[in-house]
Amino acid sequence: MRKTKLLMGLGILAIVGVVLVAADHIDAPGTTSNSADIADFYAFEPSADSPNTVLIVDLQTNVLPDLAYGTFDEDVLTEINIDTNNDLIEDMVIQALPRGDTMYFFGPAAPTATGITGEVLVDSPLGSVAISDTEAITTTTDDGVSLFAGPRQDAFYFDFTQFNKVLEGPATAPLGFNIGDDAVDTFDGANTMSLVIEIPNEMLGATTGVNPLGVEGVYKMWVTTNRKQ
Amino acid sequence: MNLHTLKYTFLSFCALSLVVACSDDDNGTDIVQASCSDGIMNGTETAVDCGGASCQPCENGGDPDPMEPVALDFTGTYSQVDFMGRPGINTVLNGDDESKDAHNVSIPSEGVANFQAGFEARLVGLHDAYGAVYENNILGLDAATLTTVLAADVLEVSPNLPTTYFNPGEDNDGDDNPLTLDGDEIAFTGRALGDDVIDVSLILLFGGENGIRFSGQDTNADGEADLPRLTSDGVAITATPTDTFPYLGAPE
Repeated sequence: MRKTKLLMGLGILAIVGVVLVAADHIDAPGTTSNSADIADFYAFEPSADSPNTVLIVDLQTNVLPDLAYGTFDEDVLTEINIDTNNDLIEDMVIQALPRGDTMYFFGPAAPTATGITGEVLVDSPLGSVAISDTEAITTTTDDGVSLFAGPRQDAFYFDFTQFNKVLEGPATAPLGFNIGDDAVDTFDGANTMSLVIEIPNEMLGATTGVNPLGVEGVYKMWVTTNRKQ
Repeated sequence: MNLHTLKYTFLSFCALSLVVACSDDDNGTDIVQASCSDGIMNGTETAVDCGGASCQPCENGGDPDPMEPVALDFTGTYSQVDFMGRPGINTVLNGDDESKDAHNVSIPSEGVANFQAGFEARLVGLHDAYGAVYENNILGLDAATLTTVLAADVLEVSPNLPTTYFNPGEDNDGDDNPLTLDGDEIAFTGRALGDDVIDVSLILLFGGENGIRFSGQDTNADGEADLPRLTSDGVAITATPTDTFPYLGAPE
């Protein structure tokens, strides 16, 4: 039923052109059907008072048919950018790049250059892990860094179909979003190609960043995908 | 096998093979080069100590053991094609295809200059569509300030606090509205897998000062909602994250 509703919604959207989704899944025409499309980014403390932070980057999605999904692209470097002094410029990066059946991770270390181009930090290897199929293959390095790369459930949830009706205004959606059974998670049943890194906080170092509520000691992070030129 | 192991395994292999392959060329010049065994990529090498004009090729095709490790090529320049900090920013707040594509090749330090005005116009426009005017939100932010915060599209991550995209805390001030800030709320310390980032975003954009401005209220008590529901999309998580690494559920 959920797929049916989605496809009905897509039928409407097809009339107006490219289908774009969230959180960052298929977010712009230039990344649609693209193996470098970022789907999502998570960063969290895995348990209360844990000395580690978990970083998850979801690439690609199969939420819609005919999208690039299922294989990490050897020409696409994924980079987690970390600002530690509140200037919105990356002070260190963690990188991931597949070769064959293995995902190689680098950093955290200063990038060769800030901004929209960069190189692989071959002198700062973090570790590597075999790319999983359905069963999760994980590894933990001598530094206590756990690594994973492979297909996983898409944890994002959003009634994207109704959102697009809301964007059309009250003529289409006079009551805005739905409630109860009429509200449908578009991402139910979808998968992404996920990179998961659990890293000791001490490897990330100190930060002087401040969040919008004035909380001090926060990293400012963002993820990019970068295609080999 | 980690990269160090790989590198040194290959180094051993290369050093051995150089004796045979590199030091016996027919013009009498010894072309064994220090760069082929110095553990760094230099000269015309295409990876550490292999490839290029002087060293062994990096691929091992035809060698006795096809499983012998090969040096991997991580060279080259990589240019940004997609970018994300907070969830939904590009999708929701950039209103046209050109802006969405531009956002993906932008950087946070230029986000305010490049996107804040467009975000604010989009926020105002979404309110206009429902015949409303933006009101300061639960964080007390006006439209310009909120869109300035969001235009620098980064995820704030606190390594030493509980992670939440936004947790309103308890209703300690007893005003029957837990969303009204009363000092125990936590927000912007990261993003956990279960965080309802869409509802938080909708509350910040459409919720007004109490976070519930457009929540399907029945203002004329006729039993029918006459304000739209814009502060929640009505769905909860359907995926099944776990408490252990790698935390994401197995693919479906």
